Amino acid sequence: MRWFLPGLLACVLAQAVLLGPLSLGGIRPDLFLLLVFLVSQRVSPEAATLLGFMVGLFQDALSGSPLGLRAFTDSLMGFLAARLSHDMYTDKPLALFWLLLGGTAAAGGITLALLTFFLGPPPLFPALLWVIAPEALYTAAVGLLIVWLPQFRAVLARAA
Amino acid sequence: MSAILRLLARYRRATILTTTLVVSFLLMTLQVRHETAVVSFTRQVLLFTVSPFIKVTAATVRGVSNTWRDYVDLRGLQEENTRLQRETAILKRRIDQLEEQALETQRLQALLAMRQASRAEFLTARVVGKDATNWFKTVLLDRGSLEGVRRNQPVVVPDGLVGRVVEVTPTSAKVQLLTDPVNAVGGLIQRTRVTGIVSGNLGAGARVRYLPLMADVVGGDQVVTSGMGGVFPKGIPIGRITAVERRSGALFQEATLQPAVDLSRLEEVLILTTLEANAGREAGTSLGAGAGFEAGNGRRP
Repeated sequence: MRWFLPGLLACVLAQAVLLGPLSLGGIRPDLFLLLVFLVSQRVSPEAATLLGFMVGLFQDALSGSPLGLRAFTDSLMGFLAARLSHDMYTDKPLALFWLLLGGTAAAGGITLALLTFFLGPPPLFPALLWVIAPEALYTAAVGLLIVWLPQFRAVLARAA
Repeated sequence: MSAILRLLARYRRATILTTTLVVSFLLMTLQVRHETAVVSFTRQVLLFTVSPFIKVTAATVRGVSNTWRDYVDLRGLQEENTRLQRETAILKRRIDQLEEQALETQRLQALLAMRQASRAEFLTARVVGKDATNWFKTVLLDRGSLEGVRRNQPVVVPDGLVGRVVEVTPTSAKVQLLTDPVNAVGGLIQRTRVTGIVSGNLGAGARVRYLPLMADVVGGDQVVTSGMGGVFPKGIPIGRITAVERRSGALFQEATLQPAVDLSRLEEVLILTTLEANAGREAGTSLGAGAGFEAGNGRRP
């Protein structure tokens, strides 16, 4: 929890400045959503909702999106992640990857639904092909690295 | 009253979730037609909080990458190398630096030439950040209202149009790029003088919409700003048509457009801070204020 604000600042800087060279076809991993997922594992659903809301507001401010778009998505995803964290806990990399993939894709789906409601329907196929699917894959891969790498190193250290 | 408070405390989880979702929804609703003071203030406070960190990080990244490049250049050198080899390496590095400086000078000269050629006033700015989502295409500049940047000011580079300022804090400004899905700019096919609306899409590039069905538009046609709307001066290159789509039964034809500017590699840009009315008409060039439809689709702040 004490890492939340430094984590948020790190996400802001990484997403706005540092991830440019790592973008694949213009797509970057959604570090804000990963932060929400990671923090939500350690706090109550109420706190996760509020932290998700705060993260989302910052993401909206740094983006061209209407203020509230990602705040809505991130607070909902924070609540769900915290609520389901005990039932869905896994340390298996593949399962973790699929969970992150599903979560990010769901967040993309919610964003698409809100954009459709407020700004009119964006073309569905390009949205799935160019934004939701690659973003989910990239975010899940990066999330897996962040979560699993320390565990992998611990296993190696024990083996040594 | 106390009964309500007790009820809220009992269902605290649902209350907090519902409140955050409703507040988010309300914030979005307030922006559908036009931006309210509350939304604008919130947005500016959030952006103002992080923009100094972003500027410092961008400057640090530039410094570190330059140092790293120097380090990589120097790493291969060993003391056993002959003096000639050392000199060659040093000279190569100098050439690299000079080439980099020459490229920067070229870019800045082009910006300066553009500035001198037109009668508008420009402000040079550096790109320090990119959009935090993959849904929109915006960049953050290191100039803000303290230097005279205002909303809706056009942003250009010598190659053509970049976008327009949509958000300003005292020290930074957010620019909606030409390729942003909710951006809309009045475009003019230079060869046939047909007008359309240029907007971004979720993939790469942009599209020209609302082209009359019988209009003569072919691949390779140059598209420039139409000047209608008074936001963008007339005649700024937007891009080239790459393909034209005519769907049966449609009232208009559409075309895909390759922007004239590589928007993924922006470093320095010019913000048009003031546009002299009628400058283009008098000078026979492209600058001038018009009237009509432009500057976004009206559904976004």
